[in-house]
Amino acid sequence: MEIAPLIISLVYQALTAGAFLVLCSIGLMIVLGMMNIINLAHGEIMMIGAYVASLLVTEGLPFFLTLPFCFLVGVLVGLVIEFLFIRYLYSRILSALVLTWGLGLIIAQGALLIYGPFLPSIKIPFGSIEYGGFTYSIYQLFLIFVAALLVALIYFILQKTELGLKARATMQNPEIASTIGINRKKMFSITFAFGAGLAALAGGVLAPTTTIAPFMGTQFVAPAFITVVVGGATNIITGTLYSAGSLAAIRTPIGMYLGSFAGTVGLFFAALILIRLYPNGLASIRLFGRR
Amino acid sequence: MDRNEKDITVNTENVESDGSTRRTFIKGSLAVGAALAMPAIITSKSAQAAGHAAAVKVGHLEDLSGNLAVYGVQKDHAAQLAVSEINAGLTLKGGPVGSGGLGAFGNVASKPPLMGVGKGDLNYVNDGGGRSKEAVTFTEDDEILVDSGDDGILGRPVELINLDGQSNNNVWQQLTRKLIQGDKVDCLVAGFTSAEREAIRPIVDQFKQLYIYTNQYEGGVADANTFCTGAICEQQVIPVVDYMVKTFGPRIYTIAADYNFGQLTAAWTKATAPLVGGEIIEEEFVPLSVSDFSTSIARIQAAKPDWVFTLLVGSNQSNYYPQASAAGLEYPMASTVNMAQGYEHRRFSAPSLNRMHNCVNYIEEIPTKRNRDFVQRWYKMFPNDPYIGQMAQNTYFSIHMYAKAARLAGTTEQEAVKKALESGMSIEAPEGTVFMEPATHHAGHYIRLAVADAEHNVQFLREWPMITPWWLHRMGVNLVGKKEYKQYIPDEDPYFTMFGK
Repeated sequence: MEIAPLIISLVYQALTAGAFLVLCSIGLMIVLGMMNIINLAHGEIMMIGAYVASLLVTEGLPFFLTLPFCFLVGVLVGLVIEFLFIRYLYSRILSALVLTWGLGLIIAQGALLIYGPFLPSIKIPFGSIEYGGFTYSIYQLFLIFVAALLVALIYFILQKTELGLKARATMQNPEIASTIGINRKKMFSITFAFGAGLAALAGGVLAPTTTIAPFMGTQFVAPAFITVVVGGATNIITGTLYSAGSLAAIRTPIGMYLGSFAGTVGLFFAALILIRLYPNGLASIRLFGRR
Repeated sequence: MDRNEKDITVNTENVESDGSTRRTFIKGSLAVGAALAMPAIITSKSAQAAGHAAAVKVGHLEDLSGNLAVYGVQKDHAAQLAVSEINAGLTLKGGPVGSGGLGAFGNVASKPPLMGVGKGDLNYVNDGGGRSKEAVTFTEDDEILVDSGDDGILGRPVELINLDGQSNNNVWQQLTRKLIQGDKVDCLVAGFTSAEREAIRPIVDQFKQLYIYTNQYEGGVADANTFCTGAICEQQVIPVVDYMVKTFGPRIYTIAADYNFGQLTAAWTKATAPLVGGEIIEEEFVPLSVSDFSTSIARIQAAKPDWVFTLLVGSNQSNYYPQASAAGLEYPMASTVNMAQGYEHRRFSAPSLNRMHNCVNYIEEIPTKRNRDFVQRWYKMFPNDPYIGQMAQNTYFSIHMYAKAARLAGTTEQEAVKKALESGMSIEAPEGTVFMEPATHHAGHYIRLAVADAEHNVQFLREWPMITPWWLHRMGVNLVGKKEYKQYIPDEDPYFTMFGK
């Protein structure tokens, strides 16, 4: 086999795997990283996004036009959950964990009762391109682009806007932030809703590549948590990028040469070692100077 | 002679109209029960009127939530349909020796040929005329659901206790103990994955519980208390591998779920491929949690097989099909599970399942009259169901088969019913005739090679009216003569290593 197509295929696979991890974890990273809430209903919020996409596509809306609705429904769900439950649990990490776990079960089982075991799948848009014996799904390339775009967007919002500045200030020290006139309740509420919106949007863009079913969230939750824990909470952007990047870079070649099972083992093993070496997450590594 | 044969002229008109009002009632009460995974009780009107007879308890355990709910809900509905029919005084035809034994369809001449004395060649006095595609070598019963001449089972109503295993093996063990020790069920019908079955089988054996496993699986379970009514590898793998090797070529790439079912079915494929001229060029086992298949797709492209054998299980793994299709992977595929269990051809947009071949014992699309009737009965009771899969049909006829065996035994005493199930009985199921083979406790099935096209329509390329479960015979298993409680695996059979390269 020629070496160039193989390398390109490996890079594509690693980027695809990395994009998958970024999309799974981005909403969770916002909620966990900024608010210190372990949201175990994260997978179910992604499921809601996929359900919105599937239901609207069934109604005749083109797939790409459903994505804003996925985000909006996610934001609404986030606002409701935050308003009803989460706001009472900001200092109680474990209570929030149990509560969101229960919420996740209720949402998934509710979807099963209302919509049955499956919703119609969404046809993957675009086709594929072929190079050197390997074919590449154009939609997977699009997902890589979306993942990069979302990371850039979050970077922009957090670092360059007043809202982002207020959010960061609130997360760092709520008391002092409120003394300078920031409405901390509102900031928490917005942050949680934004995280939920991102999760639902990710669920929507991943929907064509998956089975749209009530318990589909479980497939996203484990990768999401691994990515977030390896990445650490000190910086959302670098944490997500380093973590998703390094895990994908380890998993792909092992998976390619030894099969999916070895690839999965490799991913967990790498996570284990990285957490041992960098207990505060990869975000604590200073590569570009500023954290 | 089948005890129901005399009652064949049942007035279907009455049964239908009477049955439908009752079904409406049952449906209402069950929808809630099933949804909440609470025990549901179905009793027939006449039995309720009769009053005191204690119910016959059929325990049913399947996954109504979690990764495997897609299959469990179908099987749960199948159990409800069967129990409601039994309580309505209906049964599937069949019994020891069946209604005429092992029925077989085939091409026959309009009249049997008449042979005279030949000189060096056969002398046809009359060749019987042109061959007919319509005829069958043994008359097929159009109406398989007939009056049972019984109220429920032996005059007792049947109570279905259906629980949710939650796709979690620990929950399976707890609920099995509850059904056996708490509810004292007369018959346990349970199990989707082989992991679930092996988790509960020791408990079943501890209490000598009559247990029916209705899933298609890798085969090999030789257990005096267990009756396996699903199709197994010698019925599914060999026919489909043979066809695929001859049609598309010998180089096979196997991608399988990484647990006992996937591993053992892959082992069967590897062992039998050389018999039909095939060769496994690569085997890949995928953990059940994996849902991103980019790497597997690239591996398959690097290996360049003639066709791909997919043994993927659960919602996560079925993502393989749309992803492979979007990546432009266009190899022909074969499977023993996909399409017939998780109706991937209905769930995923065409052409993801294009050229998927599967030797099934049941699939909703079977065009025979008896199956069309069954499909209609099903959707009358469960109008919102998306599909009737292979195992749902197995659960359906298995519960009817249990009722027949109990009637034959004249009691629900479990050892007696097990003996009745070992009487060489057949039952007319929607798929065709199913034969419960006494020595191995496995079922002989009507096998069809189904294939999906680019629009996901289904066609049947070949039919085998009866493939018996022969492999455990090879291993010397005879559960009637010698009780055993183990699962044989292909590695134990020198036959397989003989042909391996």
